[in-house]
Amino acid sequence: MAAPVKSVDKPPAECSPLNFTSFQKKSRSKSLSIPGTRPSVQNGQLLVSSGVTSLDYLLGGGLAVGTVLLIEEDRYDSFSRMIFKYFLAEGVVCRHELFVAAAQDDPDDILQELPAPILDDVAIHRPGEQPRMSCEPQDTLDAMKIAWRYQNLPKVQSALASSSRFGHYYDVSKTMEPEIRQAAKWHRFYHPEHPPLSSGTHSPKLESYSALLKSLRDVIQREGFDLTAPLPKSRNILRVGLHSLGSALWGDDLCCHDNPKNVHALTSFLYGLRALLRTSLSVAVVTVPSHLIQDRALMGSITRLCDNAIALESFKGSERETNPLYKDYHGLLHVRQVPRLNCLASHLPDHKDLAFKLKRKQFTIERLHLPPDLSETVSRVSKGELAGAATAAAACSSATSSAKHLDF
Amino acid sequence: MLGNVRSFTMLSELLQGTDVGGFLLIQDSCSYSGRHLLKSFIDAALNREEVVHVLGLDVSEEELKEGLKSLVFQRLHFHDAYADPLGWTDNSPFTVHQFSSWRLAELLKQTAQSKPATLVIDSLSWVLRHISPTAVCHTLQQLKKGGAVRTIIGLLHEDMHSRGIVGSVCRLATSVITVEPGSKGEEALAKITKRSKLGKVTQDEQIFSIRKDLTVTVLSKPTDPGHKQSTTEEQVDPTANLTFNLRLTDAEREAKEKLALPFVFSKEKKTALLHSGPGSGKILYEPDASDDYDQEDPDDDLDV
Repeated sequence: MAAPVKSVDKPPAECSPLNFTSFQKKSRSKSLSIPGTRPSVQNGQLLVSSGVTSLDYLLGGGLAVGTVLLIEEDRYDSFSRMIFKYFLAEGVVCRHELFVAAAQDDPDDILQELPAPILDDVAIHRPGEQPRMSCEPQDTLDAMKIAWRYQNLPKVQSALASSSRFGHYYDVSKTMEPEIRQAAKWHRFYHPEHPPLSSGTHSPKLESYSALLKSLRDVIQREGFDLTAPLPKSRNILRVGLHSLGSALWGDDLCCHDNPKNVHALTSFLYGLRALLRTSLSVAVVTVPSHLIQDRALMGSITRLCDNAIALESFKGSERETNPLYKDYHGLLHVRQVPRLNCLASHLPDHKDLAFKLKRKQFTIERLHLPPDLSETVSRVSKGELAGAATAAAACSSATSSAKHLDF
Repeated sequence: MLGNVRSFTMLSELLQGTDVGGFLLIQDSCSYSGRHLLKSFIDAALNREEVVHVLGLDVSEEELKEGLKSLVFQRLHFHDAYADPLGWTDNSPFTVHQFSSWRLAELLKQTAQSKPATLVIDSLSWVLRHISPTAVCHTLQQLKKGGAVRTIIGLLHEDMHSRGIVGSVCRLATSVITVEPGSKGEEALAKITKRSKLGKVTQDEQIFSIRKDLTVTVLSKPTDPGHKQSTTEEQVDPTANLTFNLRLTDAEREAKEKLALPFVFSKEKKTALLHSGPGSGKILYEPDASDDYDQEDPDDDLDV
């Protein structure tokens, strides 16, 4: 029963001091075993977590390696930036490499703002720390009055023995500790640091996007993420984060004009990006300020050129903020596209009405539903009516005192 | 000096100019001009002993300086781009094509002071008509980050541009004030959106009026007749209206806490049990003769 299981092949994962069981899964290791990834249950594709567990669930288990996730930004770029930071923080925690490109903020500043992970077993980078069993100060005995036998056990017990879980939770109110962040290897591309070399060449590509693509290709080839090159011993995933592509600060006038001069700049960049990603072990998250792009056909082609696409619509500043239907949530989430990778049918989310809420320890995406009507007047207002006229809804709820009780 | 302004309103906070390195955008339309509010901001900055540089493109110098007190004019530097903005004559003090970050930084260094100056652009619409929006956004971003300027205050006429251009410029701004005419004559409505560094967005709407001496009086929040005072239901107290008593008085609560629980040991016994020696929790199993102990993994034949 409790005899140790002798495993035939020792898995290459490092033996962390926080192994609670001695069980080691015997795997034939046909597929690459990279920490922080897992094969998809639908089509065997290698998946990485996007940092938000509810988003992983929506996208069919996670982001497939070699694909692009397009996030259409909300009006003030608050929630899309949050998901962008979750993606990068997940990369730091799983010890993937990062490539961050931005035009508005310095990538250093973006990395300073990453949220802190919540788990205990992430703190493996501190080698000097003893396990908690040994010397606890006496006054912590008063912490638990009834369940004091469990006091010395760590707060969160991970189900699996390995420290590289799939999908972590983050505390938004704290930033990631510098030790964890500095242990991560990352590359940066800050657009103002790459001034345009020549101007006036009438090519469909834009100078800034070409420089970005070239820089990304160099990083992929130099650091060994390329699948066409001979494989080094240990492989890792490169997480690429591109912030606010298409905005005016990248030199692109997609957002400014109805008939932009560089119509094909962003689309040819995305085409090149996807080709680069398919032949390497990388995942990309691209955010685009789609509310500024007037041409819907162009937005459609941008969506088609990315694999996964979601759009965030925040309630702040719109008339929906006061709608009682939406009072529990911060905004709506629309899934625009889900890819079909190496299979005929894709996994579509069950429900189309999704709303999100940014809580301190979790970014939840839930199905939008009518709350139960517990008031005196049980008049069934349909969702369409409620969304259409906020004033009418207020009038309905205050039309009291008529004896409209439900009679059983 | 600011009359009966409550210090916690967003408009007055912005007027006090506490955020450094920001870009404040005032958006107006033809129904209500934002220049009065712009002049109030200039006045407030001058009263705070700051150096203000004004790029005047929309109105002439005399018109802009009207209403400002003359004793602060030594700190106000007006760069006249109103007379000849496109440089048709050869000696124009400032043309619109000189709107670039290095040229503006040079201009600001000419009147070098100890602390960086406030740059006021009146108006950005003029610049956007002659320079491409991407170049203008670049310049504004570089000025914000560069440190040559303390804050930038710009006026934008939103009905002169397409939504995309207005949206792109608003993205760069840390605070945006959209002014509209109010319900009564002298009053105006200001919708303020402020973005903090971490991405938190706060919004507010205030009715204000500007007096002759350019002080801003914030009146009140607009009472929108559409927003019915939604009676937020009181949290239903589950311990009310019951036939039995579920509440605790203070004495009862104390007694409850003093109650000695079973299996509560003294401190020493607890520590002894918690920090027990090695080997106290292990299970040692010796397989019997009749136990079928198979070392092989039954999942071996699965091709997973």
